[in-house]
Amino acid sequence: MTDEYIIDINHASKVFNNQKKEVTALSDVSLRIRKGEFISLLGPSGCGKTTLLRMIADLIKPSSGSVTVDGQTPREARLARKYGMVFQSPVLYEWRTIIRNVELPLEIIKLGREERRECAMKMLELVGLRDFADHYPSQLSGGMQQRVGIARALALNPQILLMDEPFSALDEFTREKLHEDLLSIWRRTNKTIVFVTHNISESVYLSDRVCVLSPHPGRLSAVVDVDLPRPRTAEMRSSPELASLVERVRGSFEGI
Amino acid sequence: MKNFIKRLTSKNGWVLFVWLAALAAVWEIGATVIGATVRNHPEYILPHLWQIAASVVQPVSDTQTIFGLVMVNAWATLSRALVGFLIGMAAGFVLALLMSLSRAVEKIAFPYLMLIQMIPILGMAPIVLSLTGDIGVSRIVIAAILTFYPVATNMLAGFRSVSREKHELMYSYAANTFVKYVKMMLPSALPYMFTGLKIAAPMAVTASILVDTLQGGVGLGCLLSQSLKHNTSIYAFWEIVFISAALGILSAKLIGLIESLTVGGRLSALSGRLIRSAGKEKRYEKQAEKTEA
Repeated sequence: MTDEYIIDINHASKVFNNQKKEVTALSDVSLRIRKGEFISLLGPSGCGKTTLLRMIADLIKPSSGSVTVDGQTPREARLARKYGMVFQSPVLYEWRTIIRNVELPLEIIKLGREERRECAMKMLELVGLRDFADHYPSQLSGGMQQRVGIARALALNPQILLMDEPFSALDEFTREKLHEDLLSIWRRTNKTIVFVTHNISESVYLSDRVCVLSPHPGRLSAVVDVDLPRPRTAEMRSSPELASLVERVRGSFEGI
Repeated sequence: MKNFIKRLTSKNGWVLFVWLAALAAVWEIGATVIGATVRNHPEYILPHLWQIAASVVQPVSDTQTIFGLVMVNAWATLSRALVGFLIGMAAGFVLALLMSLSRAVEKIAFPYLMLIQMIPILGMAPIVLSLTGDIGVSRIVIAAILTFYPVATNMLAGFRSVSREKHELMYSYAANTFVKYVKMMLPSALPYMFTGLKIAAPMAVTASILVDTLQGGVGLGCLLSQSLKHNTSIYAFWEIVFISAALGILSAKLIGLIESLTVGGRLSALSGRLIRSAGKEKRYEKQAEKTEA
């Protein structure tokens, strides 16, 4: 039963000390994330959703409580490269071509040149950018750049994909397209995806479960199961089932 | 306005030609007016351009032309300026690297860096000369100091320009410091370093000429003051003016060329603009359809 959960957050809190003033970013959050699950951390700014993601990524240490990633501390999991990170901006190295951006993590683990290229090509194929391997990031649109970021995060074949508002800077059309792409990648790779967003319908459409976080102090106020069938289709976006789930999620915010 | 001029000149060579022609015309009008009004040696004030051009082949002694004399002196000055430039570049690079690696080094070194920059080169040159006792060494030191500052500060700015997310990406891959610097920090800082070098190169040329004037002997600056004092042909002065101007421009251009050869492919990338031509969008859509299928 225990190995069914890949991420275990146990009474985790985070208090920041800002000029003698204590700010509680996250208060007593407990959450278990299943292997292969698509889970969203949803909330307005200041609700601590990014803080929670950064705790899993070992970018922030909890003030109290614990976070376990695949049976290890976040630090151990990071050193074992068990997660891939996708940021709000694509964070591409603009002096590297697309393929070489995807190769970057493979270079860090000192993989041979040919294997690197082969693996990176596969990843680019997965996100549908094979033909753009030799382009530079500036030659790609925002949505394509973000897909390169996803390909790079998947390059080391990590169990977990941590995504910090990856589509929030994109226009509506591109975002919906990337939703489909992400779901298809998720289906094919069986990753566990932790997806931070402030977009309610996005979180419902993509996820198995939506974690609703409320601000001041940041806390987990509800976890909503999304029982929409898989695979999700574009028609579901306007379905009454989705609309009622969105309403339920909206109703579970506290103190906004 | 500046950008406007730049755009015109880069796209149309004839604009540059018109500018040069206008400059020459103004010069010649001035020279003609002075030639008509000043009775004794009007060329001491403003000679005609053709007089300067003709002076290139004029002999200054039995064995040397004016131009030859200028070249001998130019070599003495500029070879030292180049050595100093390279030393300053290396030192600036190393200091910027250390400052970015260690907060403590940065805090200690930065005030000194500012201090060096604040002392005028005219004040620093005699001190350096009396310390080293040799004009050649002084030229090297002054050129190195002048190069050092823009390279160090620009590179440091380059290191600092790396976004937090880029650092976090490296962190998430558990990359060590060496990998981080080779794959992220140095490539990010290189364009900044070239900016520093472009500022430094003409300055190093100017400074080493300036240092020459402190002491007699060989050097562009010496020849410059001798020429102005009429110890040698006045045309040596005018040739030096043109040659050093050309060298200043050439040194910056040369660095620009090296830059475009080394980091050229990403210059457009650095401007951060997305190229969204219609053709690309179409390919993007086609690509998107493919993935959907």
